[in-house]
Amino acid sequence: MTLFQIAINNLRRRKSKMVFVVLGLAIGIATIVSVFNVVESMREQMTRQMADFGANIVITPDTGELAFSYGGITIPPTLFDVEQLTMVDVDKINELPARQMVRAVAPKLLGVASSGARHVIISGSDLQSEFAIKPWLRLQQSGEMGEASPSPKDMDYEKLNLAREDISAVSLTDGEVLLGATIAEELGVMPGDTLEIAGMEFQVFAVLAENASTEDNQVMMNLAVSQRILQRPGEVTVIELSADYSLGSEDALLDQLNGALPHAEVISLRQAALGRDEMVTRLTRFGASVSILVLFVGMLTVAITMSGAVRERTREIGIFRAIGFRKSHVATIILIEGAVVSLLGGAVGYVAGLAAARGAGPFLSGMEIAVPWSTGLFLAAMLLAVIIGVLASLYPARQASRLDPAEALRFM
Amino acid sequence: MTEVLIKADSLKKIYKSFGDEVEALRGVSLEIYKGESVAVMGHSGSGKSTLLSIIGGLNPPSAGRIEIDGIDLYALSQEKRADFRREYLGFVFQQFQLIPYLTAMENVMLPLTTTSYSAKRKREMAEYVLTRVGLEGKMNRLPNQMSGGEQERVAIARAIVNEPPLILADEPTGSLDTKTGQEIMELFHELNSEGLTILMVTHNPENTASMGRTISMKDGRLCADQAEVVPLAACKAR
Repeated sequence: MTLFQIAINNLRRRKSKMVFVVLGLAIGIATIVSVFNVVESMREQMTRQMADFGANIVITPDTGELAFSYGGITIPPTLFDVEQLTMVDVDKINELPARQMVRAVAPKLLGVASSGARHVIISGSDLQSEFAIKPWLRLQQSGEMGEASPSPKDMDYEKLNLAREDISAVSLTDGEVLLGATIAEELGVMPGDTLEIAGMEFQVFAVLAENASTEDNQVMMNLAVSQRILQRPGEVTVIELSADYSLGSEDALLDQLNGALPHAEVISLRQAALGRDEMVTRLTRFGASVSILVLFVGMLTVAITMSGAVRERTREIGIFRAIGFRKSHVATIILIEGAVVSLLGGAVGYVAGLAAARGAGPFLSGMEIAVPWSTGLFLAAMLLAVIIGVLASLYPARQASRLDPAEALRFM
Repeated sequence: MTEVLIKADSLKKIYKSFGDEVEALRGVSLEIYKGESVAVMGHSGSGKSTLLSIIGGLNPPSAGRIEIDGIDLYALSQEKRADFRREYLGFVFQQFQLIPYLTAMENVMLPLTTTSYSAKRKREMAEYVLTRVGLEGKMNRLPNQMSGGEQERVAIARAIVNEPPLILADEPTGSLDTKTGQEIMELFHELNSEGLTILMVTHNPENTASMGRTISMKDGRLCADQAEVVPLAACKAR
């Protein structure tokens, strides 16, 4: 006979009451588990979408405070005397141990060159890589110049097709350029026309569909040609990477990049974007508030039920004390009961929370999220339940241990 | 010379309730020797249950002193007193007071729960006393599956399982029919003849027949202390 056996036997006898306690805690734990699961799955889904979406790491020269913005990404002006990125840096990236995580490396050189009487922004890159990391880029179909704009459906990240068959078709010769929609309109050129840039003749290969981003104003050409025109051989302004975080650790990749490119600034767009994502943040806050409230109610249920049970067991506790149980022994019985009931509540709560997240998660988040079983979260839920249950049992335990045995046995 | 087991000196107990004071004990002194069997008789409210609870270490006296086996009971801390009860005392309560969700065996093992005996040893000790009180074959029954007499036997087995020198019994036959009551009293007599000291509170004059000494109480005082039954009517004359 042990204190544990006494506690278990008592719980067995009071099944119906204990069901209330288990349910009280289970609802609290289920709320937390479901909210946590939905939020985590949303984060994961967003990470995956961003990986599909394109570049999620941007590498620029480290300029300290001297920087200007490019499409929301901070990049340095070429005018400043900073150590520029070069093709050697691109080679270093390709030699990283975590290279297999990187689906596309897109170095590019940005600069300004003259075209007749005006200046144009030149972007030299490998267009295959560029299209791989910017899957929203579309070429204008002939005849829709100036009116083409991607429909919302086209911009729906989930509908983007990274493996577009047309990528292989976007291959420029050194004498060809690809124009953004705005600049093409401003220059009044169409595919097939010739264009003079920095004293060289180029043929317009195609015009991009308008996408309301930086590319609309750019003249895109092969990287080597731009280096020649801008007289910056071997240099690149920015290197964009598309990393697949399902293949390895983001931190490890970022560490390796920082280690290999000490003079460069490595920015993770995923971390920045996730941090900025208000919907997730708000949902997290709201979920946390509701969870705490529900858990508090669960805790009260445990405390009230256990306290009531202690009052009902006055005589029994008097017997324990009379036959030599110390106060601490009596308190231990109550705490064991609280812990056992909480473990049950935690387990039921986790399963219910998982089911709720799977059922209502896609509706709540508006995403096709998958909620997997997580042993870590299961154990955390159990631990939390036990902590709550034991905390809630502290008062009833104290109440039980302080019972006057003489009074309990009606000797008085 | 027989050794003194219980030595009570001028025990007083005053209960306070809503501003009123009730004197339950008004200076009780007595000595009980090892191996004695003592019946405490008296009407309801005479203070006999209070005396039992004070001797049992459950109810501190308002004044006076009580020693058991030379130990000043109320000089001990509450927790030490709990240890004392486990080692020195066996309680047989009114209406058996078994734990309803534990079997006869488990109820009997209760006083051993907080000891360092092995599980096997605890079981052996419980089996031994249950057999001793005639309950072999019924050890795994719950209290509600047993008769009143059987439950009383479980309660007695629980009181003696930790081999205490002193048994305190509060109206042990109060809930039993006459025949079963007699059987229980015979059991107490046997235990006493084996050397256990027994102090029993009872209403029933018949129970005193098998007890070596009878103490009568009235209004919180001892009014008779002798080795024979004193009719309660005699108390009134004093």
